[in-house]
Amino acid sequence: MKQKNKEIKVIFAFLTLLFAVFLAIPMVRLLFKSFVGDSGISLESYLSVFASRGFGKALGNSFLVASVSALTTTAIAFLLAYTIHYTNVPGRAKSLIQGAALLPMLLPTITYGFSIIYSFGKQGLLTRLFGRQLFDIYGFNGLLLGYVIYTLPISFLLINNTMGYIDKKYMIVSRIMGDNGLSAFMMTIIRPLMGTLAASFIQSFFLCFTDFGIPASVGGKFQVIAGVLYDEMLGSVPDFHNGAVVAMVMLIPSVASILVLQYLERYNVRYSKISVIELHKNRARDWVCGILSTLVITGVLSVFAVIFVVPFVSEWPYDIRFTLEHVTAVFADDALFGVCKNSLFTAAATAVFGTLAAYGAALVTARSTVNKKLKNVIEGIALITNTIPGMVIGLAFLFSFSGTAVQNTFFIIIVCNVIHFFSTPYLMMKNSLAKMNASWETTAMLMGDNWIKTILRVVTPNAVSTILEVFSYYFVNAMVTISAVIFIAGARTMVITTKIKELQYYNKYNEIFVLSLLILFTNLAAKSLFQYLANRKQKTAASKSRAVKTAQ
Amino acid sequence: MKNTKKILLLGLASSLGICTILGGCNGSSEKDKVVIYSNADDEAITAMKHALDNNGFKDQYILQSFGTSELGGKLLAEGSNIEADLVTMSTFYLESAQEQNKMFKDLDFDVQTLDTYPAYCAPITAQEGAVIINTEMMKENQLPAPASIKDLANPEYKDMVSVTDINSSSTAWLLIQALVSEYGEEGAKEVLKGIYKNAGDHIEDSGSAPLKKVRAGEAAIGFGLRHQAAADKESGLPVDYIDPAEGNFSLTESAAVLDKGTKSKEAAMEMAECIMDNAREELLAAYPIPLYEGETEATADKSGNPKIFSEPLTVDLLKRHQELSDSCKPE
Repeated sequence: MKQKNKEIKVIFAFLTLLFAVFLAIPMVRLLFKSFVGDSGISLESYLSVFASRGFGKALGNSFLVASVSALTTTAIAFLLAYTIHYTNVPGRAKSLIQGAALLPMLLPTITYGFSIIYSFGKQGLLTRLFGRQLFDIYGFNGLLLGYVIYTLPISFLLINNTMGYIDKKYMIVSRIMGDNGLSAFMMTIIRPLMGTLAASFIQSFFLCFTDFGIPASVGGKFQVIAGVLYDEMLGSVPDFHNGAVVAMVMLIPSVASILVLQYLERYNVRYSKISVIELHKNRARDWVCGILSTLVITGVLSVFAVIFVVPFVSEWPYDIRFTLEHVTAVFADDALFGVCKNSLFTAAATAVFGTLAAYGAALVTARSTVNKKLKNVIEGIALITNTIPGMVIGLAFLFSFSGTAVQNTFFIIIVCNVIHFFSTPYLMMKNSLAKMNASWETTAMLMGDNWIKTILRVVTPNAVSTILEVFSYYFVNAMVTISAVIFIAGARTMVITTKIKELQYYNKYNEIFVLSLLILFTNLAAKSLFQYLANRKQKTAASKSRAVKTAQ
Repeated sequence: MKNTKKILLLGLASSLGICTILGGCNGSSEKDKVVIYSNADDEAITAMKHALDNNGFKDQYILQSFGTSELGGKLLAEGSNIEADLVTMSTFYLESAQEQNKMFKDLDFDVQTLDTYPAYCAPITAQEGAVIINTEMMKENQLPAPASIKDLANPEYKDMVSVTDINSSSTAWLLIQALVSEYGEEGAKEVLKGIYKNAGDHIEDSGSAPLKKVRAGEAAIGFGLRHQAAADKESGLPVDYIDPAEGNFSLTESAAVLDKGTKSKEAAMEMAECIMDNAREELLAAYPIPLYEGETEATADKSGNPKIFSEPLTVDLLKRHQELSDSCKPE
């Protein structure tokens, strides 16, 4: 047993060092910065930020638009999940709904804003189809639309997942007991989903509140807190102290929302046995849900349709002849092509090191007998990384590593991504490792294998599909993220998303959309590859177990 | 077992492979390259690239663009810790950054400028502001052509105007300088309020955005850079420009070399010289205002009403005008 924990402790020490240097120290320095004024430690910066015109308004705007968006997203995600689980619409339609709901995940948020402009703007694609502008896109409406699309995937995943665990037999029970339709619906679907719906609301709220990409493109004069933070730091007359204060203010609702999420976790209903039942026939229900869901996914897809149109015409909207010149121009431009390579490199490296970090951390908590305190440290790190918005991490890095050797390196961006997205991969790994038989390591040791061999030969092969999932999670997120890297990317380390922000300054939408398409296709390719590998792994495992059974 | 191992190893190996290949390309040679930060517009960037590429500096530099406010912020905040070895930027920003951080070296080559400039910078472009219109939109909506910036505040132009925000773009400063010198600060506020009301959400971050909005028909009238509108008109787009009664104010952009002590790159100074020697001809075609001895401008390109702000331009003055502008924005 002693032997086993030695390696675990090495892993633990390495992880704590990583998070101490690249999370704890930068965050403490940021906190410190917010309390230091021109005349020593004071609340000066806080007072100046709160007194400034527009800050209170921006904060209020952020709360308003984030809550409305979160509510809308949750309602829409519920509708889609309901259509999948509780109606008899054709299976193919169901998988289409699922695919469309998850699609926005594969694109950076800054792209959504531009697609909204080019879909619903005065000269937008949809505006032209309808013959008039449907609504004013700048400000609240644009943000709402952007945020809803942005948070739909995560909200849908949450609700769809929980719905899969609701035992539909209770519907029959409820019906037999003579409940009417509405109360049956409330009791058997809404009640068990309550925790998840709340979680979806909070998670969406958190994402909207801290996102930078969407306000950067369609915010208009509707200021939100992410915009204020950007202006304080990279505006024409920057004020680092005020920036630090805004970051701190942004942190508070984030921390609160994650704490509530943790609390809600306990109320998650899990039925131990899921019975497959035939849903009773109800054509009206199927049609209504089917049509509404179709409208939603058409909406989502039509917003993105423009990405496939604008870069392939000469000069939208005046000269709409088909051309490939914009696409070839991007590939011919060394600088743009270099940026694509940078993104790919960053995403791949983030995936490799992120997966190692998540795997190592999960080994400590799920497959070792080390002191509970050490395990709690890892759990704490995961919780903290989940609460800190990307922009705040980026800013903390900017303060801490400016002027050091790692400034403007890929290393710093990769570490930033690994830390920023650590929470979800860690939880995925932990759940997967915890499910495995606890005595494998002991058995293996008795058989004479050392710990590393056991991990490589026994534990890892059984966790392959989760490892691939984690790898793909890190990869996709590193491809689309902008909030943290905007503060730390240098000229040699530009990635696609920060380049898009730069191109926005010159209103070069053709290039923006071509680069967005590149991100989309890269992510689709990566996802399908990992999916394929994971499936193959599962198939071989299944065929092997069949083989074993036949042998018996 | 074997299979899973293979998959994992393959995955790990291939991703590490990608890392090293991509990383390799970005390796040591990349480190020696001179990093140039610039807030310049497309035309100027292209001209500078041509000058460098045709004179032996091809592939020896990385040119990184920024918005004026972003680069300004970086200069003030990062000082000589900044990644760049050479910057081109609005001259007043370079002056303020130098005053605050002492971050630039004196140029070691001679320049024959028409006006006097500090020893550490040399001008690359001068840009003038003008009112721009989309002629088709004006006709379609039966709008009269404005004659002054003040006219943009007229209620008949509601939702038709696009201007820039002085908080992020120096082009807006050209507009505000014109208003302040003509009508005084209080008078300028009155006009600005009206303009912002008409602009609604079209208060843009980038100096070239109003022109793009006008070009795309999102707005009928804008305030932007004169030479860009002239180029659009030339190319046959439904765009025209008007020299406003308040005057065409201008800003210059200059190049300066960072002083990083022993880490300074020799080539940065050579590239600055190369740009001065070889880019001006192409720059002058796009930005037709003479800056150096021996340069002339075609009469057709001459703006109708060139003027200069009475106070020296500094970041402090900019800050004052930003506050003036902010106080005019609708709640």
